[in-house]
Amino acid sequence: MSEISEVDPLITETADRLFSQICDHESVQNAEVTGEATEIWKAFAETGFPWISISEEFGGSGGTLLDALEVLRLVGYHAAPIPAAETGILGGWLLSSSGQQLPEGVVTVLPSGSENLLVARTGDRLTLTGRGLRVPWARTAEIIVVPVEVDDQTFVASVQPGDCQITPMTNMAGEPRDTVDFNEVEAFAAPVPSDVNLRSFRFRGALSRTALMAGAIEKMSQLTVSYTNDRVQFGRPVAKFQAVQQHLVWGAQDAALARMAAESAAREANRGSGAFEIAAAKLIANQAAARATKACHQAHGAMGMTQEYPLHHLSRRLWSWRKEYGGDAEWSEWLGRIAISQGADGLYPLITGGSGVLR
Amino acid sequence: MRFTPTELTEEELELQQQVRDFLREELPPGSHEPCLGMAARKDKDFSLKMADRGWVGMALPKDWGGSDRTAVDRFIVVEEMLRWGAPVGHHWVADRQTGNVILKFGTQEQRERFLPAICRGELGFSIGMSEPDSGSDLASVSTKAEETTGGWIINGTKIWTSGAHENDWFVCLLRTSPMEDGNKHAGLSQFLIDLKSPGLEISPIPFLDGSHHFNEVTFNEVFVPETNVVGDLGMGWHQNTTEMAYERGGPDRWLSPFSTVEQLLREARGTDLEATVADLFGELTARWWGIRNLSLSVARLIDTGEAPSVESSLVKEMGTRFEQEVIEKLVHLIDLEYSPESESLFERLLAQCVVTFPGNTIRGGTIEILRSVASKGLKGLPA
Repeated sequence: MSEISEVDPLITETADRLFSQICDHESVQNAEVTGEATEIWKAFAETGFPWISISEEFGGSGGTLLDALEVLRLVGYHAAPIPAAETGILGGWLLSSSGQQLPEGVVTVLPSGSENLLVARTGDRLTLTGRGLRVPWARTAEIIVVPVEVDDQTFVASVQPGDCQITPMTNMAGEPRDTVDFNEVEAFAAPVPSDVNLRSFRFRGALSRTALMAGAIEKMSQLTVSYTNDRVQFGRPVAKFQAVQQHLVWGAQDAALARMAAESAAREANRGSGAFEIAAAKLIANQAAARATKACHQAHGAMGMTQEYPLHHLSRRLWSWRKEYGGDAEWSEWLGRIAISQGADGLYPLITGGSGVLR
Repeated sequence: MRFTPTELTEEELELQQQVRDFLREELPPGSHEPCLGMAARKDKDFSLKMADRGWVGMALPKDWGGSDRTAVDRFIVVEEMLRWGAPVGHHWVADRQTGNVILKFGTQEQRERFLPAICRGELGFSIGMSEPDSGSDLASVSTKAEETTGGWIINGTKIWTSGAHENDWFVCLLRTSPMEDGNKHAGLSQFLIDLKSPGLEISPIPFLDGSHHFNEVTFNEVFVPETNVVGDLGMGWHQNTTEMAYERGGPDRWLSPFSTVEQLLREARGTDLEATVADLFGELTARWWGIRNLSLSVARLIDTGEAPSVESSLVKEMGTRFEQEVIEKLVHLIDLEYSPESESLFERLLAQCVVTFPGNTIRGGTIEILRSVASKGLKGLPA
């Protein structure tokens, strides 16, 4: 067994307390209207949390990927409307991997990288043309990071948002997912080590979503237990009815399953591997989100369908995150090909050994 | 409720390798008709061989013939046996729960008499809970034990008793004093009963496919010596509930269809089918990985001295539904008519699963009962 690293309990406690104070129903709702959550971001940034796991040498806060993912889990739990993943373990990771300094503010990253862009390279300058879709918080970012594969090499480009045309768009939860048009945009780019590429970026994106989703499903499950114990019908709390208990149990199972999957994937990723675990965790989170949102909405009745009640902050985020960095089909096919390649006798060893047997 | 991720230690991985080597030698793949999880054939020779390695009753103390191993060690042995479809039926109940009950609640004499024999893989046990009028409402059992000189006289009927026709002993929940108003859990006690006792009659209740697992066991003035009462009189409900915690949440609740899925992969090798099953295998692999992690964390929790009854109920409820879902997905995918007599082993296994798996969400406590146990332990938002 490799050394087991654990989450620093102080991180959990501090981040949870911070979000409990600044991230209430009203502020999340308000961010949806205005498209930004300046106060929440400011308080979050002051703690240095966005930059955990990024080396101090490049302007990060140090610490482990495990701690960074724990913070993301709490971002999901509190439905915090901030670009935490993009600034830290996605954009920040790409910048620091290529030896670039992080800016002080928000960083975002093109989820599809250079896949839909025309790229021309002259030394450390790239010229990008094309359109990036669903770019989180591009409108408030100081840098738009683009991982680029060109000339059989991977580069990380730092694009100035002012050089692009940004059209504000949103996801199902009303969070910024902007369209970014590049019209022969010139940007500085630096190469990265061979283990950083579009594929590993895709996995890292999926990893970030599993953490967010695990947090949101858990909160949704707890909210549902609380609501059904308060809500009285036929003279008793509806949680006492077997038909409702079924929804509570299913919600709690998916919360446990998604969190276990996310945390197990985080441990492997923290050791620098974990492709199998990340793929499995994202698929599990996707499916758990689908089942749990259904169960929790059903248990809430009409109340869950209103804007005034906070369930939708979680369920709508889950429906969006489910499709980001790989939906069900992408990950089940990837995993399936791996599983089949192990052969019948290797199938169970793969389930118990994960990435360990693929190395 | 908290499931903490855990990983196997070097020693545990070594044990896993030993079990895999043992199985490859004893039951080479392709040489045996795999069993479907814990509803496995009884093969006493196989049980004796496992016991030889110290893998039956392994979590029991050395003083009683066990190996002082952990719940996680037992988890490792059990999951490998079940995924292989090994014939673990003979020692299954004794290993999973009866040994623990006798260790925890039994007298010194009972421990001496039963535990070493359990660990040698010799004794097979049946469980006597359900009755014709007591299923999910277990506390309503009415089979009576009445005190007599030197022991007890038993009258009544137990049903759905798996393996009573082949096993040696019967752990029974019986009523030792009349039902009290308002406290139906009182007045129940646990007994160890020799299945060869005079007056004890065993008759088959054929399973839906005609096979013989279930029995009806009738007691007609059966004498049981007083030394066979397990634990304290009237504490049967509590003991029984403790016993059920061992019964829930382990690999037997999510691995039953594994050998069928594995066989599909074996038979699909190099055929057109292989290309069409990627999506399915991806999903099943992920789900098994996820559920296994939860189930393993329950075993780790047991090793810290906890009794994780909410966690294990959640895992069992989810695991047994998953087992049925797996089979439904296979049936959906495989556009063939299959039967228990198909030439293909995969098709034979699939037919068996289709016919027997409705029972998976019923045995050992229905999923409806599990939901009620689990939901009592769920917590809402932190205050």
